Amino acid sequence: MGLSEHIVMRELDIPDIADFEVYRRHGGWEAYRYALTEKTPADIVQMVKDSGLRGRGGAGFPTGIKWGFLPKGVYPRYLLCNCDESEPGTFNNHQIIDRNPHQLIEGVALSAYAIEANTAYIYMRGEFAAAARALEQAIAQAYAAGFLGKNILGTGFDLDIYIHRGAGAYICGEETALMESLEGKIGQPRLKPPFPAVAGLYGKPTIINNVETLANVPRIVEKGVAWYRSHGTEKSPGTKCFSLSGHVNRPGNYELPFGVPLRELIESPEYGGGMKGGRPVKIIIPGGASAPWLTADHLDVPLDYESIAAAGSMLGSGAVIVLNDTVSAPHLAYKMDEFFKHESCGKCTPCREGTHWLVRTLHRMVEDGHATAADIDTLHSIYRQMAGNCFCLLGESAVMPIKSALQLFPSEFEALVKRSGKSNGHHIPLVAHH
Amino acid sequence: MKLLETHRAEIETIVARYASKRSAVLPLLYLAQDTYGYLTDEAIREVATILELPPTDVYEVVGFYTLFYNRPVGTWVLQVCDDVPCCYCGAEELIAALKQTLGISEDETTPDGMFTLQRVKCLAACDRAPVLQANLDYVYDVTPDRVQTLLNDLRARAAEARKRGVSGRFAEDYEFTRDGRLVQIERFAPYRPREFVIEPPAPVSSPPPSVVPEADAGLDRADTRKASPL
Repeated sequence: MGLSEHIVMRELDIPDIADFEVYRRHGGWEAYRYALTEKTPADIVQMVKDSGLRGRGGAGFPTGIKWGFLPKGVYPRYLLCNCDESEPGTFNNHQIIDRNPHQLIEGVALSAYAIEANTAYIYMRGEFAAAARALEQAIAQAYAAGFLGKNILGTGFDLDIYIHRGAGAYICGEETALMESLEGKIGQPRLKPPFPAVAGLYGKPTIINNVETLANVPRIVEKGVAWYRSHGTEKSPGTKCFSLSGHVNRPGNYELPFGVPLRELIESPEYGGGMKGGRPVKIIIPGGASAPWLTADHLDVPLDYESIAAAGSMLGSGAVIVLNDTVSAPHLAYKMDEFFKHESCGKCTPCREGTHWLVRTLHRMVEDGHATAADIDTLHSIYRQMAGNCFCLLGESAVMPIKSALQLFPSEFEALVKRSGKSNGHHIPLVAHH
Repeated sequence: MKLLETHRAEIETIVARYASKRSAVLPLLYLAQDTYGYLTDEAIREVATILELPPTDVYEVVGFYTLFYNRPVGTWVLQVCDDVPCCYCGAEELIAALKQTLGISEDETTPDGMFTLQRVKCLAACDRAPVLQANLDYVYDVTPDRVQTLLNDLRARAAEARKRGVSGRFAEDYEFTRDGRLVQIERFAPYRPREFVIEPPAPVSSPPPSVVPEADAGLDRADTRKASPL
């Protein structure tokens, strides 16, 4: 069920597509030229709406509908490309920039035209330092070819695209925290509403989309809505660049139409190539660190937003982490929640305190071997106090690993208690580990 | 005003990208960090003056983001991803090898000032585990047996002054080839599919090795971790 032609990972069809001239020879920047010279911005918004393109950053919200939230007649507007890819298991934005950078830049330019923005920023996590330099060179090539700058192609449309590097903070991938960071502040999320489309960067109407989402746009405009919708499912059209990692033989990004079963992604010799050493699948995290866990029982679930949701998880960013039977569920929950604790911005109490208490309790149980029977109740109590009470999704996401671990593998927590010999539950004070 | 004297044109270009001067605080802090080696009080106050901000606002930013250092760091800052899935794919073995070879623990710097070692969260290169960054240059597929090759290369680059600041403003990415050579990744180069070594299936009867460490001595165990110098 492989693709005859890739929509985003086109380096698989055209190995030297990272070269600007090669990209041009394969129709690169022609969708943009066509849009600017023959289509109105509203036409492009309508095409993206009709294509059914959904945001690839995690939420899966329809892109064209998001663009439609912009208030009429309010300018300037900004387009932000979210490249703060930092969640454990996600790495497709990174490779899109390394391997097919010009399609991303064309997507940014085309989308800026559609939403009538004259300035676009690509916010890249600070660690993408070499990638940022390369993308700056690619942007310079687009300026030199006359696709960016003033009065582009004689149409009167002006557009500048800038790279902005963050400096190490997962929370800046949250859209309003990203705007705060871009405004030169610490990356703490803003209260919504107002939503960014109404009051975003510098208080102006702002659209923010993920790298993979924007990289889809040139192909939709070039090849048309019907072609695009011929991929994927009715409700999840197109393809997804799944980032497959963990104990598989062939970790990497694989672009597949929505709806391919998990088993195919993991086992096909073209994709995951099966499990390392033939060990059994124990835990599958299908959508990045914030997705509830699945198990080997879910191998036949199709990879699309609705099916993964029906199985009790979320497709999220399409980061599929597959772990074998050597991994302890409490240890995995500990590592995942250590990530969220480290990245908590400190703004709201349930997340700031909750992630700390989760990690301190789990550390005592898993690393120090001092689990008590009361700890299991403590863990349940902490995540229940966090769920639904955090200011943004970071804290809500931190609930998922521990909740999944306790639900799916309760016996492993009980075994930790048994092993420590403190099943009578006598109290041991928590020791701070910062 | 050292920064304005040495980098006036670059600073003006950066500030001109934004509707508000304050937006330039991250890029200017990177510039200041590379100029001074780390973010000294002088450097932070200089950025504040250039951007017409209260110094406390800039200090707050420096404290929030992990890539800013307000204490001296080594010539090379080695940041190893120990997150999921890397921690199950060799990251802990890599950290152990680095600690042993360098004779330091996490968040320490070697006595010669060459290397600072840190654990960091996900680096978005999970398919290339174990992975680390050296002054934000990615290095992919760093198995423990390749540590010496890497460290030798980094020392050689430092000696030839080919290392340019800790902020990644001139970063390049590297990978290990299958035969263990460290090579720079060429930008905009044709894509080459990766070759994988497929592990043969283990005997069915082999029990899963435990990744949870055995319980240790008890509550009175000394905490060997060091406070972060950063």
